[in-house]
Amino acid sequence: MTKLEAIVQPNKFERVKEALIGLGVEGMTISEVRGHGRQKGHTETYRGREYGIDLLPKVKLELVLDDKLVDPAIDAIIKSAATGKIGDGKIFLYKVEEAIRIRSQERGAAAL
Amino acid sequence: MSVIAKQASNLTLSQKFSRLARRLREPEWRRYGGLLLGGKAIGIGLVLLIITVVSGLFFTHVYAQTAAPEVKAADVINPINTVWTLIAAFLVFGMQVGFTMLEAGFCRSRETVNVLVECVVDTCLCGILFYAVGFAFMFSHGNGFIGYHWFFLQGAPATYETTGVAFLAVWIFQFAFADTCSTITSGAMIGRTGFVGDLLYSFCVTGFIYPIIGHWAWGPDGWLATMGSAGNVFPSLGMGFHDFAGSTVVHTIGGFIALAGAIVLGPRLGRKFKRDGGGPMLPHDLTIAVSGGLVLWFGWYGFNPGSTLSAMDFEGIGRVATNTTLAACAAGLSSIIYGYFRTKKWDASYTTNGFLAGLVAITCPCYWVSPTGSVLLGGIAGVLVILGVDLLEWLRIDDPIGAVPVHGMCGIWGTISLGLFACGRYGATGPLSPDNSAPLKGLFYGGGTQVLMAQIIGSAVVTVATFAVAMAVMLAVNATGTLRLPEDAELYGMDLHEHGISAYPEYVISALGAPGGMNQELPVAHAKASLATTKPLSHIAS
Repeated sequence: MTKLEAIVQPNKFERVKEALIGLGVEGMTISEVRGHGRQKGHTETYRGREYGIDLLPKVKLELVLDDKLVDPAIDAIIKSAATGKIGDGKIFLYKVEEAIRIRSQERGAAAL
Repeated sequence: MSVIAKQASNLTLSQKFSRLARRLREPEWRRYGGLLLGGKAIGIGLVLLIITVVSGLFFTHVYAQTAAPEVKAADVINPINTVWTLIAAFLVFGMQVGFTMLEAGFCRSRETVNVLVECVVDTCLCGILFYAVGFAFMFSHGNGFIGYHWFFLQGAPATYETTGVAFLAVWIFQFAFADTCSTITSGAMIGRTGFVGDLLYSFCVTGFIYPIIGHWAWGPDGWLATMGSAGNVFPSLGMGFHDFAGSTVVHTIGGFIALAGAIVLGPRLGRKFKRDGGGPMLPHDLTIAVSGGLVLWFGWYGFNPGSTLSAMDFEGIGRVATNTTLAACAAGLSSIIYGYFRTKKWDASYTTNGFLAGLVAITCPCYWVSPTGSVLLGGIAGVLVILGVDLLEWLRIDDPIGAVPVHGMCGIWGTISLGLFACGRYGATGPLSPDNSAPLKGLFYGGGTQVLMAQIIGSAVVTVATFAVAMAVMLAVNATGTLRLPEDAELYGMDLHEHGISAYPEYVISALGAPGGMNQELPVAHAKASLATTKPLSHIAS
């Protein structure tokens, strides 16, 4: 099992979600986050004063996947989230030791 | 020099005075000060000169009586009627608060600042335009199609026509109405209209479309108002077009300009319609939206009862206020019940737009119908508005707050309903007392189709004319490239792009499930590093 953590642009989130569900992904956890990568934000003007927007809004998806789904999921995310411009986001992968469904105490891939 | 300036800023008051005394003794400082003061005196002189010239040009004739007031009632009657008109005007102006809240609540958080700024700026723009040309086009004498006196309020009488109400009190009352029409328009165009485009079309709406088409129904010699009498259009009809407080003039005009705007703009990015498997973009603050609706209801007590322009017609005021209330209550109930049968939920948006639809519908017939008639016609409006929302969804027209169903469609229904529900007891309001010598009688009260025909003709003429002109205006503004926001600006967030800040900079990140994000294009901070570290994805999982 692998945990996939993807940070994407909020306006790409719907497409990413649909693509993942199309692959047969059973569940996911979403958070609205702010952050920055290599680009360090920019400035806006309010009441004639400039202020910095250095942490930009993103959506973070967390999924735990059966290993055979990992590559298709990566492809699907890239296909639906990439614009080629800066700020498209990142994908991180982690090994997962165990998964347990609280309701039935199932373990492993059956718990996903 | 900067060191001296820095020290100077730290001086105490007494030190500053002693420095001033020292400097006054030095000829160089005296010359310097004299030069500054002289320059300022010249500037002030110029400003005073401009004030004199401008006020001579525009203001001297405002209060000049060209003729004695036409109504010579007891000394107290005209002031009382004027005060009543002003109270109503202030209530109608309060509807701006309601509209702003309603629109801000029903839109997404990312376009809220734009709604706020547009509502304020539209109001300011409307005031100036209505002073310059709007009131003249709409309410002055001219021909059946347009008025052409009183531009910049010049040469106006002390009181307006036969009302006996102070001319400028009528002006502010009608300004508040014009402003309502302009704000209705922006409701269907939320979220994707560029600010410059908004200014351009608002200029056309409040300066020209609303006043000129409004003149047909409300001008002293408008051709719809005088329709049916000898020497005017359709003399055989024997009945003019009646619109007591503006179901057609304010709401249908506003609603159909809004429709034209929404069609030309197209939907907001990411908006999927019901038959494409999508649904509405969710409102971001129902507390504000519903409260705003109730503020509008409150303001309507100026809108409808105030349209008597006469506190002496006290029975009329009471009747109109009650009819207004009952229609809103009936519509709020019918919409939530009809909505429940369709969705099995007690829908907040349905009932808010429902009672507003009832208010729009009763606006035209409020003077001539009975309380029971108000309940019936309001109840129908509450169902119509939901069907109207469905129709727009099916036509793939994105109207974020429902301005077209509420104001456009229920404005038509309210206007026509007078021909059905006019109870045959009330004629016209008047400065001293109502004149019920020629009461209006609708179809359901045995009055035949005479009133109904006049209402259908008036409503159809205004609707078609408004929509045609509005489409032309919107297409023209669109051709300048300012109407629709560029795609990257809309993705970035129109509040940030147009106004530099989001409505809730402290705690709302973005709207999920919508193109709520930042599509930033920033300079690459570490271009070399990014090239060096680019690497194909490794398969951690394998």
